[in-house]
Amino acid sequence: MMSGFEELRSHGARAVEAGHFDEAAELFELALVEAREHGDDRQVDLALCNRAAVAIELGCGEGELPRLREILMRNGDPFNCRIAAYNIARYYELAKSYKKALFYARIARERSEALGRRDWLASSHNLIGNTLLAESFVQQACEEYEKALELSPSEPTVWQARILDNIGYCRVLQGRHDEGCAYLYRSLALLRRFRAERFEISTRLDLCFAHIETERCQHALKHGTVALALAEKMGESDAVKNALYLLGEAENLRGNLDGARTHFSRLQRDFFPEATYLPGFLLAVDVRKLVNLHA
Amino acid sequence: MRAKQNPPVLDLPQRAPQIQLVGRKIRQLRKEHKLTQVELSSRLGIQQSDLSRMEQGEYRVSLDTLFRILAEFKMSMGEFFEEIAEESIKPRDVRLIQDFNTLPEDAQREVEDFIAFKRVQGRHDGHND
Repeated sequence: MMSGFEELRSHGARAVEAGHFDEAAELFELALVEAREHGDDRQVDLALCNRAAVAIELGCGEGELPRLREILMRNGDPFNCRIAAYNIARYYELAKSYKKALFYARIARERSEALGRRDWLASSHNLIGNTLLAESFVQQACEEYEKALELSPSEPTVWQARILDNIGYCRVLQGRHDEGCAYLYRSLALLRRFRAERFEISTRLDLCFAHIETERCQHALKHGTVALALAEKMGESDAVKNALYLLGEAENLRGNLDGARTHFSRLQRDFFPEATYLPGFLLAVDVRKLVNLHA
Repeated sequence: MRAKQNPPVLDLPQRAPQIQLVGRKIRQLRKEHKLTQVELSSRLGIQQSDLSRMEQGEYRVSLDTLFRILAEFKMSMGEFFEEIAEESIKPRDVRLIQDFNTLPEDAQREVEDFIAFKRVQGRHDGHND
């Protein structure tokens, strides 16, 4: 029974790492059943935390919050408390409540330190970085990401690729374009190696933005087009919005007004139907320095 | 100067930048609407401190938030360019943009094509475009 629980969890964790959340949800649900049958409260909490993590990634995690808070407040097992705090932080990050996310991410970091888990400390720093970056504290965010990278395992992982993406985007925002692109291409190479298409979207969007910033329109269009296709395939609507915006910018930059208008018009039609002024506005006004792709 | 060669309708010196300009515009519109930072941030669903940083040009936002701000003030192209007009665009240019935006999409394309034609014609005649 024990080995069944751990095996299911381990397979679930690998599915999460690869971005296969539906498969992970099924595995963690089975792990929860096993834990309940076994009557081990610690395992039940752990399985609930794992199931919640997937639900949160799939955008349906609100119902899991009370259980996660209960696990955290009960303060029983430090291992489960850390996972609960991290998951709550991640929920608020996705809900764009960055100050709440930062609060819980810092709890997760403290718990990770107490447990002496380098990998968890790394993911906590990364999450703190995400909340800071979303609020435009670029330098502070980058410092958190660098700590995360330093603490991450030496062997390449999808996780590492995501940190590289984050650092790369920060560098591009700081105007250090070549350095930023180098991080982003390292991220992309890893993600392609692991076939982690879901996470490739963000790196491709950041590469598209980086190439727009350096006026390499063809490269920007290539990455933006792939990002758009992947985002549509995965149903990632925020990423679709960003891709349409960036593709419009890239076309505009190279003087293809029709192409730019096509993307901006689709952005308006599909996501901002009331804002009929939008395509004309974006054709005329450069909002690149206003937009945060990671917010 | 941006590399983009063909801004819509007018040969603007560059596409209207930038974060400071929009921040300033938000502040100005907020005051015109007699809103405090607390009131506006509440309407936009953001924190007052974030709005303050936005007005100072220190805060980047998601596309959703950006367009929510524009919608809140019903910020039109004309209004936006009015601000820039003080610095680089003549009132006539603003009027042209406003007129252009009242045209249907097909008509806008025709205008763009005509401008492209006049540019080519200008080059053939030895004029700068």
